[in-house]
Amino acid sequence: MTTTTEIKMCVEDLNVYYGSFHAIKDASLQVPENGVMALIGPSGCGKSTFIRALNRMHDLVPDVTVQGRVTLDGEDIYAKDVDPVTIRHRIGMVFQRPNPFPKSIFENVAYGPRIHGVRSRKRLLEIAERSLRHAALWDEVKDRLDKSALELSGGQQQRLCIARVLAVEPEVILMDEPASALDPIATSKIEDLIGDLKKDYTVVIVTHSMQQAARISDNTAFFLMGELIEIGPTRDIFFKPQDKRTEDYITGRYG
Amino acid sequence: MATANLAARRRTVNNVMTGVLWAAALSIIVLLAFFVGYILYLGAPVISWHFLTAPPSELAAGGGIGPEIFNSFYILILTLIFTTPIATAGGIYLQEYARPGIFTSAVQFCAESLATIPSIVMGLFGLLVFVTLLHWHFTALGGALTLTILNLPALMRVTQEALQTVPSTFREGSMALGATKWQTIRRVVLPSAIAPLTTGIVLIAGRIFGETAALIFTAGVSVSAGRSAYDFGLFHQAETLSVHLWYVHSEGLVPDAAQVGNGSALVLLVMVLIFNIGARLLGYALHKRLTGK
Amino acid sequence: MAALMLYLAYMGLQLFFIDHVNPLVFLFSPNFSPDAHHPGALVFILGSVFVTLFALCVGGPFGVGVGVFLSQIAPPKLATLMKPAIEILVGIPSVVYGWLGLTLLAPLIRHSTGSLTGFGLLTAGIVLSIMILPTVISLSEDALRAVHISMKEGSMALGATRWQTIWSVMLPAARSGLTVAVILGIARAIGEALAVQMVIGNSAVLPKGLLAPTAALTTEIVTDMGSAQEGTVLYHSLFSMAFLLLLIAMALILGVRLAVRRSS
Ligand SMILES: Nc1ncnc2c1ncn2[C@@H]1O[C@H](COP(=O)(O)OP(=O)(O)OP(=O)(O)O)[C@@H](O)[C@H]1O
Ligand SMILES: [Mg+2]
Repeated sequence: MTTTTEIKMCVEDLNVYYGSFHAIKDASLQVPENGVMALIGPSGCGKSTFIRALNRMHDLVPDVTVQGRVTLDGEDIYAKDVDPVTIRHRIGMVFQRPNPFPKSIFENVAYGPRIHGVRSRKRLLEIAERSLRHAALWDEVKDRLDKSALELSGGQQQRLCIARVLAVEPEVILMDEPASALDPIATSKIEDLIGDLKKDYTVVIVTHSMQQAARISDNTAFFLMGELIEIGPTRDIFFKPQDKRTEDYITGRYG
Repeated sequence: MATANLAARRRTVNNVMTGVLWAAALSIIVLLAFFVGYILYLGAPVISWHFLTAPPSELAAGGGIGPEIFNSFYILILTLIFTTPIATAGGIYLQEYARPGIFTSAVQFCAESLATIPSIVMGLFGLLVFVTLLHWHFTALGGALTLTILNLPALMRVTQEALQTVPSTFREGSMALGATKWQTIRRVVLPSAIAPLTTGIVLIAGRIFGETAALIFTAGVSVSAGRSAYDFGLFHQAETLSVHLWYVHSEGLVPDAAQVGNGSALVLLVMVLIFNIGARLLGYALHKRLTGK
Repeated sequence: MAALMLYLAYMGLQLFFIDHVNPLVFLFSPNFSPDAHHPGALVFILGSVFVTLFALCVGGPFGVGVGVFLSQIAPPKLATLMKPAIEILVGIPSVVYGWLGLTLLAPLIRHSTGSLTGFGLLTAGIVLSIMILPTVISLSEDALRAVHISMKEGSMALGATRWQTIWSVMLPAARSGLTVAVILGIARAIGEALAVQMVIGNSAVLPKGLLAPTAALTTEIVTDMGSAQEGTVLYHSLFSMAFLLLLIAMALILGVRLAVRRSS
C-alpha cells in the first residue's frame, strides 16, 4: 500500500550569511510529512546553519542574514507579517547539548504549555505525563518530578528536552545532533524514540553518524561546504549515490 | 480562536515590556545628559580664571577654589603612589602565583569585605589612626593613606582582571622557550595586560578624585591659612575640591556658597568626564601601539 | 583588615563598656540625647533602613531592567555605547549627586508637594536610587550574560516570546548573580554618607512621612563627628554607629558569598 506523502516544509534557494561569510548556498529541498529526514555532511558544512533556518533561530543572533523561501504547509515563514514566535511554536527544536532549564523536571515539561496559556495544574500534569511517556522517560522520573532537571544523566536530560518539545505539540521537530553528546545506550534509546515520533510528527535531524542516518531516516540530504549536494530516499543515497562527492563521503573518503 | 487571542496577548505583553525596557535604558542616557547639561548651566557662569585659581574665602564672597583643585590632585597622586605598587603586586601574586588555599581565599575575602566598607567608616578609621593616635591632626598624608586602604581592593581587582585578559597560550609559549615565571610575567604578561590595566587605574583615579566622605575627617575641611595656595606639605591640612563642595553647603559661611558650589560641581564633573574619556583613549592608544594595528 | 575590624570594634563597644550604656537603648530608643547619657540611635537605624529600602524598590527593578535590556535586547552597538555612560554615572562624586539633589530635586519636591524644605526621606531615597543604578545595572548585565545561550534558545524554540524567555528562564537562571547585584546595591546605598546628608534634612526625629526630614547612620556621623569631643558619650556613640555600619557591610558580604555558593 502506498500513501501519497504530503510536503510539510519546502525550502527554496536558501542562502545564509554570517556577516559576509556565505554559509549556505542556494539550498532547495522538500520535507515530506510524517517522515524522518536526515541531514549529513562533514563538520562545518552548514548542517546546523541550515536546520536553524527552518524555525528562524537565526533571528536571535545579530549579523546573520537569511535569504530565500522556507514554507510550512505552503506558508512562507519568513514573510513580513509572520511572527517567528508562532513559527517556533509549530516547529520545535532539540539541540546538540541537552539544555534543560535549571528548574524541576516537571517545570521543564510544563514550561511550554504554560507559556501557551495552560493554567490548570491537573492539565499540566496530564501533559507532562503524556510527553514524558512518549519520550520514554516517565518510568525513570515519575517519582522525582520535583527534583532539579540538572540531576538527570545526559541521556535523560536529552529525552527531557525532547519531552519538553513534545509538550507543546509542534508539527515539526528539528534535532541538531541530539545524540552526539551521549553514550551508545542512551543513543539507541533516542533513536528508538525518533522512530516512534514520526507517526505523529515530521522530524528533521542532523547527524554525524551515517549509520544513524541509515537506521532512522526515510530521506537523507548531503551537504558539503555550504552546498546541498544530493537529496533522496536514504536507501538511494547510501547504495546508489548519484554524485561522486556523496559517494566519496559515504565510503569515508572525507573526514 | 482562543489560541489566536492568546498569541495576540502574548505578543502585546512582549511588545509592551520591550518598550518599557527601551524606555528605562534610554532614560539613563537622558538622565546623564540632563545632569551634565544642568550642572553646566549652573556652573558655567561662575567659572573664571580668578575662581579657578584664587584661594577660598571664609566669610566674604568672591572666594576661589585654586588650592582645592591643587589638593585634589595632590592627594590623588599621593594615593596612587601608595596604592599602585601594592595593588599590582598583590594582583599579580593572586592571579599568577597564588594556589587556591586558605590563605588565598582569606586574602580574597578581605579584599571583598574591604571593598564594601562604607567610605565614611573608613574615614573614621583614618581619623582614629592618623589624626588621634598618631597626632598628625588633619593632613594630606593621612587623607591619602586612608584613600589608599579604601581603594586597594578595587585596584587589585583591576589588576587581576587585566591579567585575566591575557590568553594562557602567551604564558605557555614563553615558558616553553625556557623563560622563568617571573620573566614570563615581566616580558609577556604585563605588556599584554598594560592597556586594560591603565584604563582601570585611570577610572579608579577618577573615583579617588571625587572621594569625599573618607577625607572630611582625615585631610580636613580647610586649606592651611596663610600658606601659599600650592602647598606640598604632607602634614598640612588639605581640603580637596569635593570636600569643599560639601563644606560650603553644610558648614560654610560665605554668602556666595551657591555660586561656589555650582562652580565646584562643574569642575568635578568635568574632571570625571576627562578621567573617563582619558581612560578609554589611553587604553585604546596603548592597545593599538602594542598590538601594532 | 583585621586591625581595622578590631580597632573599630574596640571603639564601637566603648559606649557600652566604658559609658555603660545599655545596648538595647542604643538600638531601640528613638531618643538621641548623648548629653543625658541616653544615645538612642533608632532614628538613624530606621533612617538608613528606609532610604535603602526606597532605593532598592525604585533603583533595584530599574537597574535590573536596564541590565536585561543591555544583555538581551539592545543592539550590540547601543550596548557598547551605553557602557561608558554608565561608568560616568559611577564616577560622578557623591557630593555632586548631593548637590544635584539639593539644587534640583529638593526645590522640585518643595514646589510640587508643599513640603517645607524639600528635604527628607523621599529626596534622599530618589538620590540614592539613582546612585545605586550603575552598580545594579552592570552587575545584573554580567549575571544575565553569564547565562548560557542554550537556555535562551531552548525557550525560544518552544515558541516563547522574548519577554516570556526573559521572565521565566533568563531571570531565574541568573538568580544568584542578580542577588549579588542587589546586595551590592544595598551596600552602596546604606554606606552612602554625603549625598544623603545633603538632602535628608538631618533632624534626629522619627519621620512622620516620606516628606519629613530625618537622619541616617552615615549622615549623623558626618553631621556630628566634627564637633564631638574625644571621650564623650556622643563621640563613642558615633563610633558605635560606624561599627554597626561595618557589621552590616560584613553581613552583606556574607550574603554575597552565600548567593554565589548556592549557585555552584
Ligand atoms: N555564528 C557564526 N559566525 C560565523 N560563522 C559561523 C557561525 N556559526 C557557524 N559558522 C560557520 O559556518 C559554517 C557552517 O557551520 P555549521 O555550524 O552550520 O556547521 P555544521 O555542519 O553544523 O558542523 P558540525 O557538524 O561541526 O556541527 C562553518 O564554516 C562555521 O565556521
Ligand atoms: Mg552543527
